[in-house]
Amino acid sequence: MKKILTELAITLGIIAAVWLGLSQVDWMKLFRIEQATRNTEEKIGDLFWKMLKNTETEITSDSIVAPVDSMLTKICAANSIDRGKVKLHLLRKDEINAFALPNNHLLIYSGLIASCENEAELYGVISHELAHMEKNHVMNKLIKEVGLSVLISMSTGNGNAEIIKEALKHLSSTAYDRSLETEADLTAVDYLEKAGINPEPFANFLYRLADETKNLPSQIYWISTHPESKERAEKIIENIKGKSFPNVEAKDSLRFAGLKTNLKKSS
Amino acid sequence: MIATSTFKYEPSEHELEKAANSYVMSLVAIMGGFPLPIINLIATFIFYLGNLRGTYFVRWHCIQALLSQFFLLPFNSVGFWWTVSIIFTPETITSRYIAYILTIFIFNLAEFIGTIYTAIATRKGRHIEWWVIGGLTNLICKDK
Repeated sequence: MKKILTELAITLGIIAAVWLGLSQVDWMKLFRIEQATRNTEEKIGDLFWKMLKNTETEITSDSIVAPVDSMLTKICAANSIDRGKVKLHLLRKDEINAFALPNNHLLIYSGLIASCENEAELYGVISHELAHMEKNHVMNKLIKEVGLSVLISMSTGNGNAEIIKEALKHLSSTAYDRSLETEADLTAVDYLEKAGINPEPFANFLYRLADETKNLPSQIYWISTHPESKERAEKIIENIKGKSFPNVEAKDSLRFAGLKTNLKKSS
Repeated sequence: MIATSTFKYEPSEHELEKAANSYVMSLVAIMGGFPLPIINLIATFIFYLGNLRGTYFVRWHCIQALLSQFFLLPFNSVGFWWTVSIIFTPETITSRYIAYILTIFIFNLAEFIGTIYTAIATRKGRHIEWWVIGGLTNLICKDK
């Protein structure tokens, strides 16, 4: 029996040593997995954006894009996120919706900006979508729901328009897993805190829209695609309990009021 | 890893064929069971049940073939579920995962080659005892 146990221990030791030894090799680099994943993500993200650009109206007015852009820049700068990689697009649509596409495309509908009562709410939404990007939720969701083979075929130009549309719908109008949404919320709270912005208005935004959903379910995509909004808002409040935040900057408030006025004028 | 020894008695031609078949059975099952490691085990187990009343030599080799499948089962299962979690959950491919898959591939390959060798040697009348597995088989399988 002792001999068997010794042999078993030696065998297990050899297996562990082989695994440990092979783990020292950077297989990801050797097989260029990260590069291949990045290429696929870039191609799919650009493909989705091209499709949306053809069907929706992009807002290009500086008076509207610049304030949102500077909000995004502020969050990125405070959290060491490379601002250059995030591609911000504002689309004219009444739907209250914002979502992230692969390759760091961030899309915000004018309906969502209009529904924000103050800049901190919009900061919250931007942070939440940034968190989805940074935590790689976007590609993971696509792989899970559409399948890796379909994504690769899309990125090589073999995907048919209907499949691409369906995949895009998964990102714009269906929810992430509950755990991913919670992770994005808590990361967003972290981003906001580092940028010196009070996350409470973000929680209020979730509360308010959850109530409004009862009356206007088809318009409020950002809430219908983000279930359990009240529960999520409570988690955010719980997370920031006891912490103090500086008052909202007057400059930001003025700029946000200007943004909403410009948005109204341009519609 | 494998050692040739002499069995307690001289097995007949019929016994040699049956004992060799137990290894062939696990080989055939490997083909179908690669993505689902449990299939090899089930196939070998069924063959073992079919030979429960066989001679000591046949039973001994059936058990060795069965235990060899048992040995790699936990490692293969971890690899299988790790792969499933990469496909269906946010878990991503890492160098550690690739190293694990390569490790179990190497050991499965070693087992595969060992099984072919043992099947041929058993058919020729040589009694092969595997490292770890042979000792365990001696503990489990007794001459009635």
